[in-house]
Amino acid sequence: MNRGLLFIILITIFIQALLIFDSMLGSWDRLSVGAGTLSNFINEDVWPPDWGVFDPTWSVSCSASPRFDFTCSKAWIGLIETLQIAFVATVFGAMLSLPFSLLAARNLNPRWLSYSSRFLLASFRSMPSLIWAILFVIVIGFGPVSGVLAMTLYTVGYLGKLQYEAMEGMTKPPLDAANAIGLSKFETSFFVVIPESANDLISQAIFMFEYNFRHGTVIGIVGAGGIGYFIDLSLMALDYRSVLAYLILIYVVVIIIDLVSIFARSFFTEEEDILIPSWIEVFTPESIISLFKHTKGQINGKQ
Amino acid sequence: MSDIPSSVKPIVRLKDVSIGYELANPLVTIPDLQIYPGEIVAIAGPSGVGKTTLLRTISGLLQPISGEVEVCEKIFPSKLNRGELGYIPQKLGLIRHASVWHNVMLGANAGHKSAWNIFPSSEARASAMSSISVMGLEQKTNEPIRRLSGGQQRRVATARTLAQCPKIIMADEFLSELDEETMKMVLSATIDYMRKNNSSMLVVEHDITRAKSFADRLLVIDDGRVNPFITETTAMEVKV
Repeated sequence: MNRGLLFIILITIFIQALLIFDSMLGSWDRLSVGAGTLSNFINEDVWPPDWGVFDPTWSVSCSASPRFDFTCSKAWIGLIETLQIAFVATVFGAMLSLPFSLLAARNLNPRWLSYSSRFLLASFRSMPSLIWAILFVIVIGFGPVSGVLAMTLYTVGYLGKLQYEAMEGMTKPPLDAANAIGLSKFETSFFVVIPESANDLISQAIFMFEYNFRHGTVIGIVGAGGIGYFIDLSLMALDYRSVLAYLILIYVVVIIIDLVSIFARSFFTEEEDILIPSWIEVFTPESIISLFKHTKGQINGKQ
Repeated sequence: MSDIPSSVKPIVRLKDVSIGYELANPLVTIPDLQIYPGEIVAIAGPSGVGKTTLLRTISGLLQPISGEVEVCEKIFPSKLNRGELGYIPQKLGLIRHASVWHNVMLGANAGHKSAWNIFPSSEARASAMSSISVMGLEQKTNEPIRRLSGGQQRRVATARTLAQCPKIIMADEFLSELDEETMKMVLSATIDYMRKNNSSMLVVEHDITRAKSFADRLLVIDDGRVNPFITETTAMEVKV
């Protein structure tokens, strides 16, 4: 496409978006007033975070040594429960979604079968995890089991879609070779398609774990367990400093999951010259590593 | 084919087969082609004339536009028996993240294990081990394919096919990217296997001189780039 024409189209789209936003906003003064209100809100009610959420809670009999008494805190208990919900839901969801995504991949199966599987996966995905959580809280009751079931069903729908798209994106020659030599559908799926798409499948499963962890905080609000339950309690008590402390904790865990993802995916990277990073390299910012290497170089130089 | 007894049935038989991707616009028509057990037939010709398309059609991966394609006594669209046909695509079709052993075992399982068996048979393992050793890849057995050179990857694809013990090997430019010495080693191992098992091979080969050096017969597909007197894409058989 002509570059000038493409530029005009992009500018037109941006202007259109701006006009729609303007009609929603009514007056631009609302934004500057809102910014002021937000600043006041943060200064007076939110900052600094209340790290008291890491103090042992009276509702749990704590047997940990004083150094580890934070493990009896609401933040720690909620965090571990949310991680457990996310972990179990991701494992169950990935196991259930894999057969459906293999059936849904159009390069592996006839259209009637792939479209039936797609429709099934779409039905799981079309209902947000929050609605699934409300449903299971009604059916099973409050607690992490409702959270696990809600997250599992949503994971099946969401991860299944990512998985079949990755499978459809794989190159044709391995499939051609498998078909020509007469491998069965089962062998082609498990010994050709899954290993060939391993990089994407692992990356998606870790992304889903991170997604389930973040959403675990939301579903906790409707009583499906996890750190969300404690966030909800703090919100109801207008204790925004504690809410900020919880959110910072969630942010740190999300960053750690992302770094673990880099490590796991490095085993399946395509590039020959990329070495698998050590755990220290994964958890240390690059600037610090380069600083260390530089210093080491200087020391070696002096010797 | 005068030296082949009339009782011997061809392993591949093509009769008035038109190939291509568009019904109205076939790439080429093969009036008659028969490949007998133990024969090596090379398909040669300039790029884009339909050599790979012909190989894919005979391998059952592409429907012929018209005509009859019979391989191992099965007429398309009937499926061949498992493991009867070995296939080395131009891009090799290896699983890049899996090991050499995993890739070779795919062929060995196709040839020596029923589809209903989950675990590989001892025969399949022995066949995989022997073909890895024939291709000189013992040191690379557990190495993922993505860490191998182009030439080593070609040897893995050949080992996968030899481990399968097929009746006919379909190979698409399987000797390209190999240095002279490795090419001779791969070719001699493949021909040894064929002689021992009375198997056949249909190979797409860009280099006509090289094709002549190992093939029994040559099928040249030309659109006028080799022979300027040809006005439309034609397949003709040439004895070597």
